[in-house]
Amino acid sequence: MSRQPEEPIFNRIEESRLGKGLSRQQLADAVGVHYQTVGYLERGEYNPSLSLALKIAQELGAEVSDLFSLTPFRKVKSNG
Amino acid sequence: MSELSIVLVNLVAIATAYFFIYPKYAGDDVRRLAWLDTAVGATVLVVLAPFNWNTPNDYTLFVVDLNWWMFAFITYFLLELPLFYFYSKARGLGSAYREMWGLNSGFTAMASEKSVKKQLSDTKWDGLRTRGALRFLVLGSNLTVILGTTFLVFVGDNKWAGLIMLYILILMIFWALLRRAVRLITEAPDDALDERMIQERNSVYYRAYQYLFGVSSVLVAALLGYSVATDLFDDGDGFNYEINLTWPQINAIFWLIFGYAYMLPSMIMAWREANRLEKSL
Repeated sequence: MSRQPEEPIFNRIEESRLGKGLSRQQLADAVGVHYQTVGYLERGEYNPSLSLALKIAQELGAEVSDLFSLTPFRKVKSNG
Repeated sequence: MSELSIVLVNLVAIATAYFFIYPKYAGDDVRRLAWLDTAVGATVLVVLAPFNWNTPNDYTLFVVDLNWWMFAFITYFLLELPLFYFYSKARGLGSAYREMWGLNSGFTAMASEKSVKKQLSDTKWDGLRTRGALRFLVLGSNLTVILGTTFLVFVGDNKWAGLIMLYILILMIFWALLRRAVRLITEAPDDALDERMIQERNSVYYRAYQYLFGVSSVLVAALLGYSVATDLFDDGDGFNYEINLTWPQINAIFWLIFGYAYMLPSMIMAWREANRLEKSL
């Protein structure tokens, strides 16, 4: 079994959170973690447990696969 | 005043406490119970003092002669034990007592849930949480332990015993700063942490165990080496060895093990955090 840091998991938590107009503190309170942990998650410095990933997805109104991926997400071009 | 009189005063106090005072004023609150118990015990001593002050140490408990207050204290404790047991059992206070003494999460959970939660939101000590400060704390605490141990072991002379206090004081300052730098996470009970913090805390304990194993191995290897060298060069008999240690040397060994056992998890967590901050630059 290899260590977690060697298997990067990419995520779009920050993008989805900002899209929902939530602060880190609000998301943290909603899923039951400390607000610093949301920062760790967004920077990819910590990979969540399955239950936390499901809670985050539920809170952000997305599927887990929309938020987490083993390959980098494609950048979405903005129209602005 | 005879032993029997002291026992009777104790019995009256304990019965009054457990049948009237504690059920009414403490109930299931173990902290209040502890305070009230201290107050009742102190009251017994205050009541007994005028009758026993300056009496000789001839209060016999089993086969030991004690002074009056020690006799009163020990008999109070022994007489109270059964009632304390039944009171706690009847009210299901076992878990609350373990929580109060920090035993629910093992001996590593030295910080209370409240103090950890306060530290997690604290910004007052953020100066300690910069990359440079974290590295300084880890290197400084290691240097203190290593230089302090080396100095006390090699100088050894009891005239340096006073320096032990200075050594302990510096260690305590580093320990206090380190635990704040890592927001008490290494000493926190599970309930105060989220899953990332629990994972991080457990991971540093695993690493700390490996380092502590290294330090302990060096010490026992030195002991083994000393005994072999004694046999080889000093005509030892292969079974009996004499090691003369001064008070500073005993302190050096004690604080090397004890200091690392307590500080290593925080040192490792602080160093990892400094590395993380460096990467995120």
